Amino acid sequence: MGRYAIRRLLQLVPVVLGTTFIINYMVWQLPGDPFAGRCGQRPCPDSYVTAMREQFGLDQPLLVQYWNFLKNLLTGNLGTDFNGVSVASQLGDAWPITIRLALMAVAFEAIIGIGAGVLSGLKRGGFIDNVVTLSTLFLLSLPIFVTAYLLQWVLGVQLHVIEPTVTDAATVPELIVPALVLASLNMAFTARLTRTSIVENLRSDYVRTAVAKGLSNRRVVGIHLLRNSLIPVLTFLGTEVGSLMSGAIITEGIFNIHGIGGLLWRAINGQDYTIVVPVATLLVLVYLISNLLVDLLYGVLDPRIRYE
Amino acid sequence: MRVTKGAKIATGTALLALGVAACGGGGGSSSGGGDNPRAASGTVYIRGCEPQTGFVPGNINETCGGTINDFVYSKLVKYNSDTAAPELDQAESIETTDNKVWTIKLKSGLKWTDGTPVTAKNYVDAWNYTAYSPNAQLGSFWFGDIEGYDKVNTQDPDGPDGPKEAPKPETDKLKGLEVVDDLTFKVTLTAPISVFRTKLGYSTFSALPEAFFKDPKGFAQKPVTNGPFKFVQWDHNSQIIVEANPDYPGPEKPKVKKIVYKMYKDDNAAYADLVSNNLDFTELIPPSALAGDKWKTDLGDRAIDGQQGVIQTITFPVYSKEWGGNADFRKAVSLAIDRKTITEKIFNKGRSPINGWVSPIVEGFKDGACGDLCTYNPAKAKELLAKAKSEGYTPPAEFPIWSNADGTHKEWIEATVNSINQAFGPDAGFKFVHKDMPTFAELRDVVTQHKLKGVHRTGWQMDYPHIENFLNPLYKTGASSNDGLYSNKELDAKLHEADTATDPAQANALYQEAEAMLQQDMPAIPLWSYGLQAGTSKWVTGVKVTPFGVLDPLSIAIKEA
Repeated sequence: MGRYAIRRLLQLVPVVLGTTFIINYMVWQLPGDPFAGRCGQRPCPDSYVTAMREQFGLDQPLLVQYWNFLKNLLTGNLGTDFNGVSVASQLGDAWPITIRLALMAVAFEAIIGIGAGVLSGLKRGGFIDNVVTLSTLFLLSLPIFVTAYLLQWVLGVQLHVIEPTVTDAATVPELIVPALVLASLNMAFTARLTRTSIVENLRSDYVRTAVAKGLSNRRVVGIHLLRNSLIPVLTFLGTEVGSLMSGAIITEGIFNIHGIGGLLWRAINGQDYTIVVPVATLLVLVYLISNLLVDLLYGVLDPRIRYE
Repeated sequence: MRVTKGAKIATGTALLALGVAACGGGGGSSSGGGDNPRAASGTVYIRGCEPQTGFVPGNINETCGGTINDFVYSKLVKYNSDTAAPELDQAESIETTDNKVWTIKLKSGLKWTDGTPVTAKNYVDAWNYTAYSPNAQLGSFWFGDIEGYDKVNTQDPDGPDGPKEAPKPETDKLKGLEVVDDLTFKVTLTAPISVFRTKLGYSTFSALPEAFFKDPKGFAQKPVTNGPFKFVQWDHNSQIIVEANPDYPGPEKPKVKKIVYKMYKDDNAAYADLVSNNLDFTELIPPSALAGDKWKTDLGDRAIDGQQGVIQTITFPVYSKEWGGNADFRKAVSLAIDRKTITEKIFNKGRSPINGWVSPIVEGFKDGACGDLCTYNPAKAKELLAKAKSEGYTPPAEFPIWSNADGTHKEWIEATVNSINQAFGPDAGFKFVHKDMPTFAELRDVVTQHKLKGVHRTGWQMDYPHIENFLNPLYKTGASSNDGLYSNKELDAKLHEADTATDPAQANALYQEAEAMLQQDMPAIPLWSYGLQAGTSKWVTGVKVTPFGVLDPLSIAIKEA
């Protein structure tokens, strides 16, 4: 298992190099000059464009730029963005908020989704099963922004249960509603996935054996059934962590959460690659590591899976 | 300073009714409920966005930074929030006999927030710094009219893309700037400019304190200023805090202790906060709230309905035989656009049709410069189209109007396209269509390289409230924003005559004549001028919106509970 983990970690290196190169290349290939649109209907002064290009190394060939990027990344020097503000400090401000929001959302998805899935899977065709099927159908058919605006308007503006937007501190209680919104869609996915998996495994040999051995119902479900049924769910939640870390642009925008999504959105619009590239790089890392963790967890959950 | 005759900022002011009975006046006894949470701290919260550059007035050209910079810097001249007329601010007097040599005298006793006095040298140094090309300031071109500009600001011979570099300027001092004494300086222009006084209210003409020159980069993040408010703190992407400047000498003092410029990514979020009174002011009511005038129901007497100095036009690439058409073609297109219906249906009357190339709220505005060519008249449009064709112009089968997809232009351009196509009829032999470039930067890139295949939407936001600002930068031969490369010697001559006229009234009359000349060639089609929709919370009162569409920071006050 240890060797497997190390091998996987080493595999990350070429993947990170490859993806960052592609990201750099693509940003470079984008049409339009990042400084041409910054002066509205007037053209920007030439001296400004030249100075900015020089400052950000846009006048260098692609490979030199990529080399500089790697060098800066390894020394932890992310420099400043086109607005002259430190990239590291912006990421430092935004990322903890996004991580908090993402973890809360995944926790909601896991607890509510798996709970509902198990309950409905065990009593297939029963009342709870019908309730879960119907409510997940409802959630699946609602786009995120509808849920978000609806909750903001009803709870925030009409009932004053919450504030319509989140403050700069973005504390855990403030993030509950946004996290629920963010989780709503995937909560339904998780519930359905868990349900299917449970229903399938209920008929499997090892469950029949466990029951025949005379194990308590609790132990059959908790240890034998659930652990095996969670594998597809875990795969789903693992990638979910990755995509939530990249920021939920819509939800962040609606609740005015100053997370990574908004930062990335603004940077992409302004073609500010000084932010886009580091964020994308970090996201690649998050994806790779969360995938690795999921793979390792398979072995913990299902004893039949071995890593040599 | 003349008070502008035509300036009709009729509704820029919204005095909020204080008449809630429970809030009774003088007693100071707030009996139960209605306590104003803003009263204790004296802080108000207004909608903001992250400035692209810091607090260096010569290096700002976008509204996020411009708005907050105007709170903290005073200029020689300021614009009246009600009439848009320029009034002296830091200047005691601005005098000239020939519009070429200007003597500017500062008021005495003006101070920077670090205690140092505001001197003539501060102005001259700041202007020199901004104009000097190696400093790469965005506002450098504003000093192009001052004598010696070509010596401090050199052009890259082959543009920023070419391999050559701009030569180092001979000097870093503008020859036309001269400090006379501590409070007086003289500006010599290359040619007489009648609106120079009005221009001085633009933020690029601010002064900079000694502290700036020691550390320009640090200063941009933490400035020393001279305006009604002073800088306190900037949390990037989240808020900027300014507080009332106790030394501010102006006759009208700030009425609140602190303003928090709270950044929102989404107009809807700001609006939700406004409706629930968490935010005290926003000048961006989202389209979802404008639809069906929902915002007026939501906000009641907290809604502010006004106008701002922004107009929308469609610009023709007159340099292109294929897409520029001829004058009759352009006139026909103008006649085929039903401005009234579009502003009513698409913008909910949030914009008003214009009949000329100048915003109706500025000095020198005269209605009807476009004659009857800017009024919907499908019969005449068809007639002129036939004439244009008989003169030898064949429009391409598909004629695009370009816009940028990152703005909200799709709806009105499609409506415009429909209006034109309907007016010309199915047998016109060609069709107008709407096309998008993904971003504003890409659109501008193609436009400035003069490679656009079609016409494009243009919006002009005034830099200062004067008719001149809507003509010179857009239609003079070789002007900085003359996208269509329009050139008309007579017009140039008329504009020059107006620029050099010494009597302001005469200058305005000449500008109006110049504007009317645009009718002959119609290089751009005027569409409508922007309205302004803003709103306040129930905690504040007296809020005025400037002709630039932003909050007048001196006007906002906290309601007494």
